[in-house]
Amino acid sequence: MNPFVWQRAAAISRKEVFHIIRDPFTLAAALVLPVFMVLIFGVAIEFNVKKVALVVSDADQTQSSRRLLDTFGSSGYFLLQHAGSPNDAIEDVTAERARAALIIPPRFEKDLYAGRGAQAQILVDGSDNSTVGPVLGYVGSIQTIASRRIGNFNSPNTYELRTRFLFNPELNSRWFVIPGITVVIMAILSILLTALTVAREWENGSMELLLSTPVQPLEIIVGKVAPYGALGLIAVTFVYIIARTVFGVPFVGNLAVFGLGCLLFLVTYLALGLLISVVTRKQVVAMQFAMMLGMLPTQLLSGFIFPVESMPAFFQYFTMLLPARWFMRIARDTFLKGSSLLDLGGAFLALLIFCGMMIFVATRRFKRDLEP
Amino acid sequence: MNRTLIGFIKKELTQTLRDKRMRVLLFVMPVIQLTLFGVAISTEVKNIRLAAVFDSKDTVVRHIYERSINGSWFIPARGSGQDPYKLVEADEADAVLVPPPGGFTRSLGRGDAQLQLLVNATNVLQAQAIEGYLKNIIQQTLQDDLNMSQAAPPIRISTRVLFNPALETSIFMVPGTLCMIMIITTMVMANIAIVREKEMGTFEMLISAPVSRSEVIYGKTVPYVILGMSNFPLVLAVAVFIFHVPMRGSLPVIFIAAFAFVCTAVALGTLISTYCKNQQQASLAGFLFMFPMIMFSGLMFPIENIPDAIRWISYLDPLMHYMGLLRNIMLKGGETSYVVTHISILALMAVITVIASFRRFHTTLE
Repeated sequence: MNPFVWQRAAAISRKEVFHIIRDPFTLAAALVLPVFMVLIFGVAIEFNVKKVALVVSDADQTQSSRRLLDTFGSSGYFLLQHAGSPNDAIEDVTAERARAALIIPPRFEKDLYAGRGAQAQILVDGSDNSTVGPVLGYVGSIQTIASRRIGNFNSPNTYELRTRFLFNPELNSRWFVIPGITVVIMAILSILLTALTVAREWENGSMELLLSTPVQPLEIIVGKVAPYGALGLIAVTFVYIIARTVFGVPFVGNLAVFGLGCLLFLVTYLALGLLISVVTRKQVVAMQFAMMLGMLPTQLLSGFIFPVESMPAFFQYFTMLLPARWFMRIARDTFLKGSSLLDLGGAFLALLIFCGMMIFVATRRFKRDLEP
Repeated sequence: MNRTLIGFIKKELTQTLRDKRMRVLLFVMPVIQLTLFGVAISTEVKNIRLAAVFDSKDTVVRHIYERSINGSWFIPARGSGQDPYKLVEADEADAVLVPPPGGFTRSLGRGDAQLQLLVNATNVLQAQAIEGYLKNIIQQTLQDDLNMSQAAPPIRISTRVLFNPALETSIFMVPGTLCMIMIITTMVMANIAIVREKEMGTFEMLISAPVSRSEVIYGKTVPYVILGMSNFPLVLAVAVFIFHVPMRGSLPVIFIAAFAFVCTAVALGTLISTYCKNQQQASLAGFLFMFPMIMFSGLMFPIENIPDAIRWISYLDPLMHYMGLLRNIMLKGGETSYVVTHISILALMAVITVIASFRRFHTTLE
C-alpha cells in the first residue's frame, strides 16, 4: 500500500470544492437550510401545552357549574366550547373538534350545597399522547382551585414542594429544542451531502478515471470529507449565532469543547454518508439508505424528544450505536450545563471511536476494482 | 389504459425492484423500523435516577424515597450522600430530594414544612413529568404516614382516558411512525427516479420517443403510487398484529385515506423533481420538504402549541392530515365528517400538486 500523500487528498478536496461552488443549490442548502430550519422550529416547537380544546356539556346550568367553567377558562390551559348532551361532547372528541370533554351532571350544585361532594368528569382523548399527560396534570390543580373558590374549601396545606429546575429554571422549550434540533439537522444534512458523492462518480463513470490515477482510497475519503466538514462547521456557527441572539439560549460551557464535538460529529456522519455511497454505488439506493438511516433514527432514538432513559433496557444499549445520541448529550450539556471535556469523556470517546471506525470501514470497503 | 402506459409502468417497476437492496429497502426496512420505533419509544418518562439526602430519623423522606423506587418510574441513583447539586451536575442523578435542615419529618410537626426537589431540566418534558410524579407520591406518603384523613374536596373531577385507556405509547406512536416511513418510500422515491433520468440524459430520449407527455408523466408516477400502496398493508399489518393497535374503522376507508396520501406524496415528489437538476439536489430538496412535514405533523409535539402565525404550515402538511386520519380511523373508528373532510383535503392537495407538476413538467420539457 502506498503512503498517504496530502497533496493528492488536497487535489480531491479542490475538485470537490469546485463541484460545490458550481452547484449553488447544494451550497445554499448546506448553509441556509440549517439556519432556516432552526428559526422555524425554534418558533414552532412549544411543549408547554396550552389552549387545549375542551368541549363542555353542562347539564346543571347553575351558578356553581358556570363558576367551574370559569375556573377552567381562566386557567389559561383550556379553550372552552359548548355542546348539548354528554354524547355530543364525546362526538366532538371523536371528530377531533376537541381534545377533551368536561361533563357536568345535573344536581352538581345541589350535591355541592348538600355537602355530598359535587362530581364532574373529564374525558381525555387518548389518541394523542402528547396532550394527555399535561391535561391530566392540570385537572388536579383545577380541582383544588375550584374547591377553594366555589366550595370555600381550604385544603390543609401541610407542606410546600420547592422544585428547582436546574440548567433551565423556567422550563423554556427553546433552550431544550434548539441544541437538540441542531444535532438532528446536522446529522441528516451531513449524510445527505456525502451519500451521493461516490455513487455519483460511479454512475458518471468518472470513478474509473479516478481509479486509474495513483490516488489512494483514504486520500479520496479525506479529500471528500474535508470540504463538506468545513461547510458544516460554518453552518453550525450560523446556527449557534441564531440560537444565542434570536432565541436567547444560554451557552454556559466551553466553546472549544462544543466545537470539537461538532467537528467529530460532522466527520462521523459525513464518513457514514461516504460509506453508504461506497457500498451502494447507486445514487437512488444511497439516498434511500441515507434517509432511512439518517432521518428517522436521529429524530426518534437520539434522545432529541423522547428520553433514551425511558426506553426499554435493550434500546438503552442499542442507541449507544447512534453517534447522534452522544452528540445530543454533548450539545445539550455544553449549552445548558457547562460540562467540561472531562465530564463528557465517555461521549467524546464514543464519537471518536465511531469517527475512526467510519473512516476505516469506508476506506476498506472502497473497492478499487471496476466490477460492481 | 393503453399499452404504452402499461409497458412504461412495467419498465419502471422492474427497474426499481431489480436491485435486491432496493427491494429490501422498500419492503423489509419499513417493517424493521416500525417495529424498532414502536418498541423503543415511550412518551412515559421512566427509569428516572432519584437520590435523596436524609438521615435515618427522617422517616417521611425515607418513605417517599422508598415508595418512589418501588414504583415503576424511579430507579436509585448511584453515589447518594454527596452534594445534591453535584449529583445532578455530574449526571449521577436526574432528581434529588433535599429535606430542610433538621429533617422533613420534624418540620412537618412544626407546620412550616418544605421539601426541596432538584431536577435536571435539560430535557423539559422529562423534568415536568418528574415533578408531577413526585408530587403525587409525596401526597400519598403524607396521607399514609401522618394519617392525615384529608377531608375530601367538595368538588371532585374524575378523569377517564378515551380510546387508549392504558395510555400505551405504541398505540399512538405506531400510526405516526407508519406515516413517516411511508413518505420516505413514496415522495423521495418518485422525486429521485425522475431526476435520475434527467441526470442520465435518458429523459431526452423519452421525449423524442412516440409517447405523449401525459403518458410520460403517468408512466413515471403511477409505479410509485403502486409501490407505496403495496407497502401500506405491510406496515399496517405490523401495527395491528405486532403492536395491537386497534383497527376500529373500516378497512376500505383506511385504504382510501392511504391512497389519497400516497397520490399527494408522489405528486409532490414529481413537482419537486422538476426543480432539481441532479440527484444531489433532489436529495437535499427531499430533506427540505420532509423534515418540516414530519415536525409539523403533530407526532413530536402538539399542533395546538404552535404559535398562530405559523400554524397554517401544519394545515398545508399532507402528513398532518394523513396522521390524523390514521389515528381517527384506527383508534376512534373513523368519524364520518372528520374522515370525509380530511380525505377531501388530501385529495384536493393531490389534484393541485398533480396539476402543478403537469404544468412544470410541460414547461421544463420544452
